[in-house]
Amino acid sequence: MSKFLLLAFRNVFRNRRRTLMTLLMVGGGVAGLLLVGGFFARMFWGLRESTINDGLGHIQIFTAEHFNREEKHVLDTGIDNWRQVSSAVSSGPHVKGVAPRIEFYGMLSNGVKSGVFMGSAIDPSAEKSLDFTPGVTSGRDLDNNTSGDAEALIGTGVARSMSVKVGDGLTILAVTADGALNGIDVQIVGIVNTGFKEVDDRYLRITLPSAQRLLQSDRVTNLVVGLDKTESTDQVATELGPKLRGLPQQLILKKWIDLAAYYKQVHSLFSTIFVFLGIIVFFMVLMASVNTLLMTMFERTREIGTMLAMGTPRSWIMTLFIVEATLLGVMGAVVGVVGGNLLGLFLNHSGIHLPPPPGTTVPMRFSVQFVPALMIGSSLLVILSLALASILPAIRASRLQIAEALAHV
Amino acid sequence: MNQTKLLVDVESVSRKFPLDHSDVIALAEASFGVERGEFLAIAGPSGSGKSTLLNLIGCIDKPTSGRIHIDGVDTTSLSANRMTELRRNKIGFVFQTFNLIPVFTAAENVEFPLLVQGVDAAERRKRVAEALESVGLAQRANQRPDLLSGGERQRVAVARAIVHRPALVLADEPTANLDSRNATQLIDLMRDLNRRLGLTFIFSTHDQRLLEHTPRIVRLTDGHVVSDTTQEGGSHEQVLASSLS
Repeated sequence: MSKFLLLAFRNVFRNRRRTLMTLLMVGGGVAGLLLVGGFFARMFWGLRESTINDGLGHIQIFTAEHFNREEKHVLDTGIDNWRQVSSAVSSGPHVKGVAPRIEFYGMLSNGVKSGVFMGSAIDPSAEKSLDFTPGVTSGRDLDNNTSGDAEALIGTGVARSMSVKVGDGLTILAVTADGALNGIDVQIVGIVNTGFKEVDDRYLRITLPSAQRLLQSDRVTNLVVGLDKTESTDQVATELGPKLRGLPQQLILKKWIDLAAYYKQVHSLFSTIFVFLGIIVFFMVLMASVNTLLMTMFERTREIGTMLAMGTPRSWIMTLFIVEATLLGVMGAVVGVVGGNLLGLFLNHSGIHLPPPPGTTVPMRFSVQFVPALMIGSSLLVILSLALASILPAIRASRLQIAEALAHV
Repeated sequence: MNQTKLLVDVESVSRKFPLDHSDVIALAEASFGVERGEFLAIAGPSGSGKSTLLNLIGCIDKPTSGRIHIDGVDTTSLSANRMTELRRNKIGFVFQTFNLIPVFTAAENVEFPLLVQGVDAAERRKRVAEALESVGLAQRANQRPDLLSGGERQRVAVARAIVHRPALVLADEPTANLDSRNATQLIDLMRDLNRRLGLTFIFSTHDQRLLEHTPRIVRLTDGHVVSDTTQEGGSHEQVLASSLS
């Protein structure tokens, strides 16, 4: 069998120029998949981490009611004893911290002009402990220790539409937990650019005490749990489940992936594009290889006839062609993996930036992630493609009429 | 001729090839027998049916009518797999254009029939060395065909044809691509192997000079056997006797 493999191996290098071209084609396909897949993987990773670190956290805790019914009033389905829950959750392994949040909405006014906002109230210390930092473009982040006026961060779109800047004051109007209208004055301490225009046009953030004063409630909407690393999410979620049972309110956990709708949409879209690209590469390699291998078979017709005349089983001839093509696929995959990774390294150090993705305002750095599963998958794809491409030439070769093959010129 | 001693028995064999709406008769009612240890030439001009006849005897084609027995086996009734087996075990081939595998060395080319037979590595090495020694190419064992002369390539082909100790060696115009000196040397080599090892050789040629020392000649013209002559000084009985002594 080793001689048989040797024959296949040597046959691969019989026509070196053709083999080189085939290797470049196969390797190019693999490298292309690695670069595109690596870029997508890097993008997914970046989007995942930025989604989590922009404030989503790894796990969020809500009351079950929050998802079962619409709120009649703000914080109607909020968590009552959130400090107790927070304390229980914080003690678990891999947990970096727990941040309480209130989600609310209302109107803003600068005395001349009014606008709608989608607000969130946070505990600045808890947020900082989780490294949740808003993209403050001017001014500073919220601070727990300041006294006097309530502080607020607003989005760039809000600042523009309300014609306000850091240091200016705004009045916030919202409906309280009892259904009454309430208002507080806040001082703008920072302006935030989230990267999403629609968000920036409605963005408001104040401290938790300010929101509780505005909304007349001690409840919070949810608790955001930050972990040491994203990979711990499933484990921590499983461990937290029992801790949340037996409390006065029924609480449920949501993992970041359950809440990251935008991430899931992007992941789904780009995964589909990548699969489509993989199919194109697969068929490109398949069709080009069929042609090359048929040419090889045609050139070796007399040799195949000779082997058959010497009593070589036809199955051997078929196997020989499939093994040769598979070897070519393996070598092409190696060329592609090495070439793709080298090119990826070069591109990662080239500092190329891409235009901002749709819906965002920040240019994206071109970066390729090295994903072993992608290398294995792309390699298997082209190896399979070449093995499949060899079937037709292999069948034809194995079915040659010996007398005709020997007379072939 | 004694039927029981025949290694090859060709009985009224015809081979027609369809061409457009008619048939071309390549071989018509050919009959003759070949005994073990014979050295036989099939002579005739181009298109006389020599290659067709060798293909039929070599089980790489089937006759339109008639029967061919090899070592007592009726090859015309064999399945494709049995014919492959028969070729693998009982027949060695030498071709006009050498037909060596270009990516293999001389030794690897000679080894190939043993590989197909499933002979173990140690035995293969021994027999390859013997075969190359017998054709005088032991020193060229590791050369690839493109580094060998035409005469050397054909000697490698002869070594490949005899390495698995076949009952019959078929050589289709083995000297056609050789100059006269190499052609004569090759026929002498084949004759020597025939005498020393008792191998049965059937070769085709249209070169009259090579037939001078061939003990038996079957002549073909337009697919018909027109003569079957035996010359003095090389009968197969003498060959068998010398190979056994």
